[in-house]
Amino acid sequence: MATPNVYRSPGFDFTNEIRNSFLVEKGLPLPKATSTGTTIVGCLFKDGIVLGADTRATEGPIVADKNCEKIHYITESIRCCGAGTAADTEFTTALISSNMELHALQTGRKPRVVTAMTMLKQMLFRYQGNIGAALVLGGVDSTGPHLFTIHPHGSTDKLPYVTMGSGSLAAMAVFESGWKPNMEREDALNLVKAAIAAGIFNDLGSGSNIDACIITASHTEMLRNVEMPNERVQKEKDYKFRRGTTAWKKEDVRKFVVDEQLTLIGGDEMDTS
Amino acid sequence: MASADGGAYSYSLTVFSPSGKLVQIEHALAAVAQGTTSLGIKATNGIVIATEKKTSSILIDDSVIEKVATICPNIGIVYSGMGPDFRILVTKARKSAQAYWKIYGEYPPTRVLTQEIATVMQQATQSGGVRPYGVSLLVAGWDNHRGPSLYQVDPSGSFWAWKASAIGKNMINAKTFLEKRYNDDISLEDAIHTALLTLKEGFEGQMTEKTIEIGIVTVPTPAELEEGKIGGETGRPRPTFRKLSEEEVRDYLAL
Amino acid sequence: MSIMDHNGGSVIAMVGKDCVAIASDLRLGNQALGISSNFQRIFPVTDRIYLGLPGLATDVATLHERLRFRLNMYTIKEEREIEPETFAHLVSSTLYEHRFGPYFIEPVMAGMSKTPSGGLKPFIAATDLIGCLNFAKDFVVAGTASSKLYGVAEGLWEPDLEPEDLFETISQTLMNAVDRDAFSGWGGIVHVITKDKVITRTLKARMD
Repeated sequence: MATPNVYRSPGFDFTNEIRNSFLVEKGLPLPKATSTGTTIVGCLFKDGIVLGADTRATEGPIVADKNCEKIHYITESIRCCGAGTAADTEFTTALISSNMELHALQTGRKPRVVTAMTMLKQMLFRYQGNIGAALVLGGVDSTGPHLFTIHPHGSTDKLPYVTMGSGSLAAMAVFESGWKPNMEREDALNLVKAAIAAGIFNDLGSGSNIDACIITASHTEMLRNVEMPNERVQKEKDYKFRRGTTAWKKEDVRKFVVDEQLTLIGGDEMDTS
Repeated sequence: MASADGGAYSYSLTVFSPSGKLVQIEHALAAVAQGTTSLGIKATNGIVIATEKKTSSILIDDSVIEKVATICPNIGIVYSGMGPDFRILVTKARKSAQAYWKIYGEYPPTRVLTQEIATVMQQATQSGGVRPYGVSLLVAGWDNHRGPSLYQVDPSGSFWAWKASAIGKNMINAKTFLEKRYNDDISLEDAIHTALLTLKEGFEGQMTEKTIEIGIVTVPTPAELEEGKIGGETGRPRPTFRKLSEEEVRDYLAL
Repeated sequence: MSIMDHNGGSVIAMVGKDCVAIASDLRLGNQALGISSNFQRIFPVTDRIYLGLPGLATDVATLHERLRFRLNMYTIKEEREIEPETFAHLVSSTLYEHRFGPYFIEPVMAGMSKTPSGGLKPFIAATDLIGCLNFAKDFVVAGTASSKLYGVAEGLWEPDLEPEDLFETISQTLMNAVDRDAFSGWGGIVHVITKDKVITRTLKARMD
């Protein structure tokens, strides 16, 4: 064993690939992974960046998660919204976050947004679009605020306001009509909320709540579920079953030792000298 | 019979001397003993690790020298011995901590990371074409399971947990000093002062914020822990290890 | 037809008041042909963590062994039992390692996790077949009956159910959902994990 790292060798494992492509050949296609249909947005304002996202994750036509988190941590002052294959956005941003932390420790400086953008695009390009992550990357560094979109094949854009995901058209309509340069913090946040809401209500792939993140040079404010326009109303009555409704055949109870009492027998403690 | 310095056995790393020693490892320990003194003290509410930062010439810009290194938000290390070897170990340790984070979604406990570093160092004692690392390390960290813990790793790859320890040039004197000063209910503030006093014992020249480096581990409060679990506002638990700034070191020296 | 439906089977986990429950059916099939009515797809991980592996049966066995290996290595190295959150990440990263050639499994986990103050609190999680974690606060489902389980659970689940009530809710959810799924059924099993015990019950169910 040459490597001192005993956790596992890094990188992907392709051992099941032959079996799985054989199954595809036999007419059994790869099952769908969870995807975030998603509306994600970002926009520039006077002091920094506001990012926004909805919280719905889907598996085909099914809502798999009603309140997932799509604004991922990259560094303290850089965050990244993810759309596309949910696992890919999760792991790609985690990997880049990890590399950014190493980079920060190695250089002794706060890392820049372009660094994260370059790491992400180079990785996504290397995988030729097979990693299905569409990202909105935003943050503030020593050179000011920056906002990027990164497509699954590795192309990037740098724009003052951006949208991505299946709800991007609805959200962009809001930005196109409402965005102005040098907006105030509150106005920018409200615009982002309106853009996400447009996605939530008009795009089937997006839904539930609004997450937002405001990044300025001095502070990052993560506003988880800043707006909850789709809360379920409290049930008037419940469907609680009477105990004993379900018939069962066999029961096995495993009891844990939660606490124990020591009783000394024979008075004196054992002589251990 | 081998001569005092190991004689014919002193050059091959992987050959035991008749007396059962690997002399290259002994030599590596000698290299450590020449290094500047470093020490660590475990307190009730944290740990302090400290070292002196000595330069051979006043012309050297000492602001870029880093002897106390952050490995991950909950662990820091300090060394005595060869600087370049330390840098390699720091890089490997950081990568190992990140690899752990990518699998388990949390940073490694101090003991596990120490074991990883020790494995790297041990491997350099039985591989071809390499020499042992010429450093001893003090690893200080906090984790959920064991709380604050302080470990020492030697060139052989062996490691121990300490309440307080010193490595490098003045280790014998420093350890005697620590043995006298240490008690089980020392606070972090007192530990920092004790650390500075211990370093002062064998210090050549002036002790200033430029010639001292300090890292501290703090123990999070139950409230912080509760918040850390759900992510808190930053989305990440707050770091428990940090290096003291020059201003902070100056304040401690002034007291 | 998807390979995920080849052997059939479903798993559901629910959160209760200071307890969690995880349940599955017991059918192993070969497409429409029933093979076994006593197929284990929920496995104990530690005293207080249970793992359900619905999906392709060959991968149930392989993945279970692979996770058992990684878990044992963890337990030995760290000299302690794994926490549910950590275990969920381990499962997730193991599955994502096989991103381009996945196991056809959608794991469901249930357990009690330690709080900093020394108490225990309920934990459930599920991932898709490439390891995207879903930490739900109410319930998670997976398997061939997942679409039905979602609907029934959405209607029947309510917060703060006591262990005995949680047993009724999860059992009824499971049985009513799998009765409308041709590939799941043939009996059911429920584990209710509380602070001081695990209650395992085999359900009396339709056998068609």
